Amino acid sequence: MNVNQQWRHGALMVFRRNFLSWVKYYRSSILLNFGEPLTNLLALGFGLGAYVATMAGVPFVDFIGPGLLAVTAMNAVTFDMTFEAYDRLNENGIYQAMITAPLTVPQIVAGEYLWEAFRSLLYGSVFLLVLLLLGLVHSWWALVVPLPLLVTGIMFSGPALLVASRARNHEQLFYYFTLVITPMFMFSGVFFPIARLPVLIQDFIVLTPLFHVVNVVRALVLGHLSAGLVWDVVWILGYTVLFSWLPIRSLRRRLTG
Amino acid sequence: MAEVIVAENLIKRYGNFEAVHGIDFSVSEGACFGLLGPNGAGKSTTIRMICCLAEISGGRLSVLGHDAHPGNLMIKRQLGVVSQEDYLDPSLTVRENVELHGRFYGMGYRQAKIRAQDLLVFLQLEDKGREQVRSLSGGMRRRAVIARALMGTPRILILDEPTTGLDPQARLLVWSKIRELKQEGVTILLTTHYMDEAQRLADDLVVIDHGRILERGTPDDLIARVVGTDCLEIAECDPSFGQTLVERIQPLGIISDWQGDSLMLFSSDMDPVLAQLQKEKWLPAQYYRRRASLEDVFLRLTGRDLRE
Ligand SMILES: Nc1ncnc2c1ncn2[C@@H]1O[C@H](COP(=O)(O)OP(=O)(O)OP(=O)(O)O)[C@@H](O)[C@H]1O
Ligand SMILES: [Mg+2]
Repeated sequence: MNVNQQWRHGALMVFRRNFLSWVKYYRSSILLNFGEPLTNLLALGFGLGAYVATMAGVPFVDFIGPGLLAVTAMNAVTFDMTFEAYDRLNENGIYQAMITAPLTVPQIVAGEYLWEAFRSLLYGSVFLLVLLLLGLVHSWWALVVPLPLLVTGIMFSGPALLVASRARNHEQLFYYFTLVITPMFMFSGVFFPIARLPVLIQDFIVLTPLFHVVNVVRALVLGHLSAGLVWDVVWILGYTVLFSWLPIRSLRRRLTG
Repeated sequence: MAEVIVAENLIKRYGNFEAVHGIDFSVSEGACFGLLGPNGAGKSTTIRMICCLAEISGGRLSVLGHDAHPGNLMIKRQLGVVSQEDYLDPSLTVRENVELHGRFYGMGYRQAKIRAQDLLVFLQLEDKGREQVRSLSGGMRRRAVIARALMGTPRILILDEPTTGLDPQARLLVWSKIRELKQEGVTILLTTHYMDEAQRLADDLVVIDHGRILERGTPDDLIARVVGTDCLEIAECDPSFGQTLVERIQPLGIISDWQGDSLMLFSSDMDPVLAQLQKEKWLPAQYYRRRASLEDVFLRLTGRDLRE
C-alpha cells in the first residue's frame, strides 16, 4: 500500500469499528432515532395540520415532512458525535487505543466523519421511506436526497465532535443541544417559513446550517426546484469544509497532550 | 548491540510541573529494560513520549533511529503498546478487539483473523474470543491487551504495568510469554511495581523518582552496589533497640534500612556482623537471614514515604 492507501485504510478501519459496534445495538438505536421525529410528524403534521391547512402553499404535513427528515439526520449525527464520542474519549478509551496503533488524529476524525455520513444517509433515507409510505413524497427528485444527507452528516459532525472533545461531563453536552441544536430545530424553517420573522432574525438564520439543509431536502421531496438552491448547496459545502477542521486540534491535545 | 531507544536529557513538562527532569538512558536491541519507580515517578509519562503519544518538552528521544514526536508513524508501526489502562472496546468481543487493532496496523481481513487467532492461543485466551470484554476478569483483560499489542508484530513491546491485578498463575503465564518474545528478539520495555518481576525479567533497569534517575544497572549489579547481597532482617524491631544496634556495628560498614517496622541490615557478607553481634550478646532472638533483593534496593533508593 502506498501512503494514501494506508491513510484511507486507517480511516476506514475507524469506520469499521463503529460499524461492528453498531450492528450489535442497531435495533434499539433505530427506535431512539425515529421515535421523536415520527411523533412530531404524526402529531404536528396530522394533528396540528387539521387546523393549519396549508403552509407556504402546500399541506402542512407535506411541508414539515422533509424538514423533519433533515432534523432526523442532524440529530442522528449529533447524538453520536456528542454523547457517544464523549464516551469513546472519556469512558472507554476507544480513541486512546486507536492512537497507540499507527493511526493519526486526522485519520480518526476522518473515520468518524465517514461513519456519520453513513448514519445520516441511513436514518435520513429510512425517514424518506416513511414519508413515501405516508404519501408525502411528490417528486422523483427525492431520489437525490441521499446526496445532501451524506454531506450534511459530515457537516454536523465537526462542531459536535469539538464539543465532545472539550466537554468535562455529560451535562455540558446538553448545553450544545439546548443552545444550538434545539433553536436550530425550531427556527430553521422546519415548521414554518422564516419569511415573516423580523429581518434581523432572518439574516441570522441564513447563517445557520440546518436552514439550508431543510431548503434543499424540501425542494427535492416536493419537486419545487429553483435557482436559489444553488446558494443553499454552496452554504452547505462551505460549512462542511470549514467545520471539518474544528475538532482536530482539541482532540489532538486530548490524545497526545 | 544496537541501541533502539536513546533518551538524552529528556524532559516533560505539564504546564509548570516538570514530570520528567532530564533523564538519560538507552535500551539495547533484544533486551528487557525495566523502568521502575514509585507512583507518580514519571514512568508512564516517559513511556507516552517513547510511544509518540506525547510531545517531549526538552532533550532528545530517539526510537529505532527516529526522533519521537506525536504521530511519528515510522516509530509507531514498529511498536506494540500495553498502556497502563486497558482501553479495550466494551462494545466488541475479545477477538474483534484484537483483530481490529491489527487492521489499524494496516493488516488485511484474513491476515488479521489468522494472527489474532494465533495470539489468542499464545495468551491462552482461545475460548474467550467470543466473549464481550465486559465479562472478562482483570487478568484476562490484561492478556487480551497484550495480545492486541502484539498484532503489529512489534520490534519493541512496551509494557506499562502488564501484570498489575493479576493472580500468581496469570503472572507466571505473562512472564513466560515475555521470555518467549524476548527469545524471538523482541525488545521489551517494562514498568512494574513488583520488584520480583523486574528482578526476574529485566536485563537492565533504571530506578526513577520525581522524574529523575536514581540508579541504573542490571538487577544483580544494583543489589550488590546499592545494598549488598546479604541481608539480615529483624522483624517488629523496637526502634531504639534497632538504632543502638546499628550504631554498634556501624564500623563494619553495613547498610541499614527500616522497612516499616522491620530493620534490614545489608552487607556483601553478614558473617562477620553476626559473629560480632553474637560475641557482644546483641543478637536478637528472632532474625531472618536472606539474600538481598531488588525490593530492598528500591526501598533504599526511594525512601519510605508514601506517594501521592
Ligand atoms: N496529563 C497530565 N497533566 C498533568 N500532570 C500529569 C499528567 N500526566 C501525568 N501527570 C503527573 O506527572 C507525574 C508523573 O506521572 P506518571 O503517570 O508518569 O507516573 P507513573 O510513574 O507512571 O506512576 P504510576 O506508578 O502511579 O503509574 C505525576 O505527578 C502525575 O500527576
Ligand atoms: Mg504509570
